[in-house]
Amino acid sequence: MTANSPSVFLLMINGQIEGANFPEYDDLYCKYCFVYGHDWAPTSGLEEGISQITSKGRDSPHRLVWNFPLEITFKSTNPLGWPQIVVSVYGPDTFGNDVVRGYGATHIPITPGQYVPLIFSSTPLSTPPLIKDLLSRHTRTIPMFVPESTSRLQKFTSWLLGRRPEFTDPKVVAQGEGREVTRVSSQGFVTLSFNIVTKDMKRLGYDTTATETTHTHTHPVAAGFGPGNQTLSM
Amino acid sequence: MAELHIIGQIVGASGFPQNSLFCKWGIHTGGAWRLLSGLKEGQTQVDLPSTGDMAYWSHPIDIHYTTKGLQGWPKLHLQVWHQDSFGRCELYGYGYCHVPSSPGHHHVSCVTWRPLGSWQEQIAQTFVGGGPQLRSPDLIYSGADRYRLHTVAMGTVELELGIIMRHFDRYGVES
Repeated sequence: MTANSPSVFLLMINGQIEGANFPEYDDLYCKYCFVYGHDWAPTSGLEEGISQITSKGRDSPHRLVWNFPLEITFKSTNPLGWPQIVVSVYGPDTFGNDVVRGYGATHIPITPGQYVPLIFSSTPLSTPPLIKDLLSRHTRTIPMFVPESTSRLQKFTSWLLGRRPEFTDPKVVAQGEGREVTRVSSQGFVTLSFNIVTKDMKRLGYDTTATETTHTHTHPVAAGFGPGNQTLSM
Repeated sequence: MAELHIIGQIVGASGFPQNSLFCKWGIHTGGAWRLLSGLKEGQTQVDLPSTGDMAYWSHPIDIHYTTKGLQGWPKLHLQVWHQDSFGRCELYGYGYCHVPSSPGHHHVSCVTWRPLGSWQEQIAQTFVGGGPQLRSPDLIYSGADRYRLHTVAMGTVELELGIIMRHFDRYGVES
């Protein structure tokens, strides 16, 4: 790769799994891994990890803190298959066996920039995620869900044996296909924060940020662009 | 040709009468647009939230389009369904939103509606469930044949969409 005509772009991700909000559970740890398309390859950093076990503090009964670092760099030629991070949370049940307490996934932010610590530290973890996401672009609060038993008999036996259904591969939560057969129950949130740096995306012609004033999503699509049947001359 | 990437998630929905919901979704474009790769329709998981009103789907979207023109900018159309404990499904809402036309990360809230039947149908619906559905789902994203349709407001679907555009500036398109 020469500096003048790049063929790949780089996506550098620094961040952390800050913590979680699970009203019903305690003593939890989490695992993370990345799911990405064929054109993508990690160039440095760790693709997966397991956190420590954390408990709720006495002063913040809803807040579980992991403060677990994420550092990885990807290279790619095509934004398709943009990396997603898959997080799964585990904790002991009443018999002391580790069972899953939630799976969740989100895309890595596509725009370079960093999260604003000020906004986060003044808001408790239990605030509605969507409002907070509007405030700070690179904090993601992702919903966590567990698969449900498909039949009442299975539900009964899983209750009797203290084993609940799990995904054999947590990466299915990052896939759009075959989701219609799963029934899940959402029961908590995990908060992630990211600092994103991209290299050579602009040079390859990719725009990931609005150039001038930011348009809101309610802005009508460029309907008045030229005569009705005009196509771009390409 | 200009390229458009849509990368994001259908996060979930709230404000519906029941919270055990799933969603069928699809993307509709004009003739100048060509799908290079990615899924342009699908169905989410069913979420039965243990707490709260909002059902979460976290359904990923990752689509790559090329286009020769701006007409027929992609529209995302949604159908929200309720699944009860016996596995029976009932339509809860239709909605659509335009895919944002500027690059970057967007939070999109899509409002939904449901056809309202005659008063006899409404009474029947309160007791046995069900209700009228659209015969042609094109009506969800077209404004041509909406007149005479009587509808009622339903909940809101939340989406997070990242837009990456390529070579639009080469043709003088300002987004």
